[in-house]
Amino acid sequence: MWSELRDLTDAIDVGTPPRSGESISLSVDGQTVRVPRGSSVMLAAAKAGRNIPKLCATDTLEPFGSCRLCLVEIEGARGYPASCTTLVAEGMSVRTESEALTRIRKGVLELYLSDFPAGDVADGWSEFHQALQQVGITSHPYAPLTSHQAVAVDESNPYFLFDPAKCIVCSRCVRACEEIQGTFALTIDGRGFGSKVAAGQDQPFFESDCVSCGACVQTCPTQALVEKSLFPEGYHRG
Amino acid sequence: MANPIKPDRSVVTTCAYCGVGCNFKAETHQGRIVRMTPWKDGKANHGHSCIKGRFAFDYYNHADRIRKPMIRDSISEVWHEVTWEQAFDFAAQRFRRIQSRYGRQAIGGVSSSRCTNEEIFLTQKLVRAVFGNNNIDNCARICHSPTQFGLSATVGWGAASQHFDSILQADVIMVVGANPTEGHPVFGSLLKRRVRQGAKLIVLDPRQTETVRSPHVRADVHLALRPGTNVAVLDSIAHVVVREKLYNEAFVRERCEWEEFEHWAELVGSDRYAPEAIGPVAGLDPADIRRAARLYASGPNSAIYYGLGVTEHSQGSTGVMCLGNLSLACGMLGREGVGVNPLRGQGNVQGGSCLGSWPHVFSGYRFVTDDEVRGSFEAEWGVALDAEPGLRLPNMFDAALTGHFRGMFIMGEDPVQSDPNQGHTIAAMSEMECVVVQDLFLNETARYAHVFLPGSSSLEKDGTFTGAERRVNRVRKVVEPLAGLQDWEIVVGLMNAMGYKCHYDHAGQILDEIARLSPAYRGLSFELLDRVGSAQWPCDEHAPEGTEVLHRERFPRANGRGTFMLTEYVPTRERVTDQHPLLLTTGRILSQYNVGTQTRRTANSRWHSEDILEISAEDAAARGIKDGDMAWLSSRFGATQLRARISQRVNPGTVYTTFHHAETRVNVVTSDLSDWATNCPEYKVTAVEVALVKPAGFDEYGRSLDRHAGLAAPDLSTATTASHPGRQEVHA
Repeated sequence: MWSELRDLTDAIDVGTPPRSGESISLSVDGQTVRVPRGSSVMLAAAKAGRNIPKLCATDTLEPFGSCRLCLVEIEGARGYPASCTTLVAEGMSVRTESEALTRIRKGVLELYLSDFPAGDVADGWSEFHQALQQVGITSHPYAPLTSHQAVAVDESNPYFLFDPAKCIVCSRCVRACEEIQGTFALTIDGRGFGSKVAAGQDQPFFESDCVSCGACVQTCPTQALVEKSLFPEGYHRG
Repeated sequence: MANPIKPDRSVVTTCAYCGVGCNFKAETHQGRIVRMTPWKDGKANHGHSCIKGRFAFDYYNHADRIRKPMIRDSISEVWHEVTWEQAFDFAAQRFRRIQSRYGRQAIGGVSSSRCTNEEIFLTQKLVRAVFGNNNIDNCARICHSPTQFGLSATVGWGAASQHFDSILQADVIMVVGANPTEGHPVFGSLLKRRVRQGAKLIVLDPRQTETVRSPHVRADVHLALRPGTNVAVLDSIAHVVVREKLYNEAFVRERCEWEEFEHWAELVGSDRYAPEAIGPVAGLDPADIRRAARLYASGPNSAIYYGLGVTEHSQGSTGVMCLGNLSLACGMLGREGVGVNPLRGQGNVQGGSCLGSWPHVFSGYRFVTDDEVRGSFEAEWGVALDAEPGLRLPNMFDAALTGHFRGMFIMGEDPVQSDPNQGHTIAAMSEMECVVVQDLFLNETARYAHVFLPGSSSLEKDGTFTGAERRVNRVRKVVEPLAGLQDWEIVVGLMNAMGYKCHYDHAGQILDEIARLSPAYRGLSFELLDRVGSAQWPCDEHAPEGTEVLHRERFPRANGRGTFMLTEYVPTRERVTDQHPLLLTTGRILSQYNVGTQTRRTANSRWHSEDILEISAEDAAARGIKDGDMAWLSSRFGATQLRARISQRVNPGTVYTTFHHAETRVNVVTSDLSDWATNCPEYKVTAVEVALVKPAGFDEYGRSLDRHAGLAAPDLSTATTASHPGRQEVHA
């Protein structure tokens, strides 16, 4: 357990927590790679130097499988399994790039983009923006939606803000609060498209049980949760 | 446009707040620090952080920062800004004049655990090599000096036996007098993670802290003992271990002296330490003491983590020995998942201890009286050194009042606010002819200073910190020092002004000197730390990249064996009386750090803008105090007032507060008793009385309407103490 924490490095996010144990062999895009049993396909691909686009996965949190961006093809398996929640098996053969995969990933990102502030698509540097770049998306074909774009920004915490308009409800903040910090101050409130991140009993962050450890801000892939210090002129949604 | 600015540069460094030693990337944009993000490679934090390290960094650029050296002839005069050279010369002349008039021993120095290892080492070099005496102490005196003494006596080294990650292998975790979720939050999160995975948790604390109970974490046993009864309760736990034969005989026979164990077992095994006898003394159910003992002894891996709730007592050193004894008896040392680990308060308390800022030992805990050791320092430094141990900090103040101690160099410390019995400290400081304070801000102590040297924050300098797990971590300069000099350069400047020529090109050369003179640090260098990230001492030819777990094969003592110390319980002389019927204990809160010099200058104060007195509903009702009332808190030593909060976290008979705000002056109230072995003050136990404040001349918040009156005793004729009419005289 502890030795796995030590495998974490800033240099690369392998997507799911490193495991320790017996090493097994598989092929990723034709390249043979060895990883401990219990590792995800995503981690194996990262070890093979492949960069599968991902949003809800990070190696400091247990895999969750919600964003549907990291889908891959596995020989002999039906459909397009999520590489973060699929464990490696001896002799497995994985394909991380194909026309079908690109089409699916574009579709997923276009949906996310359809509920993202249009003015903030360019010039961003969040993980979400990097994924857009990687897959090659700059716009979406959908009619304008207002669903999360009119929700107020929570600026109650002196150090960070939460802009629901940029949130893709991947739960990384909720999971970081639980798994890393252990405070359980965040939750997903509501269902379906109406679901949103809520602090405490749907309170402003400052009034909730949040202890401002910053784990949610650190892990947020869209900078919906972001340090106020990065906005010297104040925050204005794009 | 709502995309954030993108930092253009980042420097990996170490947080200066608590003893966890988290690594951060300090990210800058156009030369200004815009955020601190936790570094995933950091071996103490693995990418996690807390509110202090992550967000409370703005103090470094606060308007209150002093940016020019200042001097004055007497403490009644205003400050004059001067150049660095003028300040060094002024201080040097005064120090030399004092020594010529009153003797070589009439001056001394204090260093701080907020400073780097290099600065702490240089400060003791200043005192030993330049002042020519051993009057050097450090702030660990008032927090973890009993750790060094108590752990050295039992297991050989006054330091944590483990690395933090070791807790993820523990089956039973015993937390004694510590509140890691507030005081050491990143380690607290690791602890909670392990408890969620199924480890059992025992907590000894008078309060129901968040460690005792929080979402998905509940202590299996919470011993809410009466303040001051640690040793009684720990001896009682040992009693159960001995009488129920729960000890690890094979470990004791192999790693300790069996006769010593028997001697100890005879003491703690006596009937007077039976849980049934100690329970009433400590306010505990005897069955809970037995449950705690059985849990701890059954392991298989049981780990102890403790804090100032153990050390800051008149039997602080004995309490630490109890923990050493217990872990030896149960064989809970020398592997992953076990051990005895002090949770140290400040970023570099472990370094402060290691680097010789003590009146009796050089770096590496080697005695100044040892000719061979002293000879090695004399050879390196080129001067003869004093073989007589010097004065401890409290003794310096005592000597100041008798006129024998006249000058002091205080680096990064605020003894007027931090030390117990404030009145005594102030009287002593006022007597001195030359007090030199080196700090970021004009702190409370600077009111009594003649020279103020503006220091550099940890973001402005190079060096190393040693975290609570013995981990030596690099501190790297992110921005230029606001006042122009890094702290170590200031000390070098003073040394040269006093006639001792010395020069370092950079802080790494000081670490090299430390390595040459300190066995446990022998293998350390900036080069090594830059290569491997960080290393836990001992770091030498046997362990070139450091040592994670101590005591694997032998204990660092002459015979290689652990020792059982006799730990008879001697109740503190501080006890409740009719006039002071409650026990006050103190602690800290997540958002603030110690006396708040830094955190109070950040938005963290939005969470904790004042010190609050926690009091049980019963005790509050008996005094007519409602939630939110201002309360008058008094002891034999002094009185102050603060807001009361009715809390289920404290048992009737106990009250609790924090000490983060200077205005509260909690240390006016705390006792002057101290640990029998190390003089560590007994902050954790003071007999007090609490009364409602709402008298004439004070506003609805209990603040004086006369701004010049300060905290003069209010007219309590209107104070409500209806149910205890006899107690009114307390305030007379």
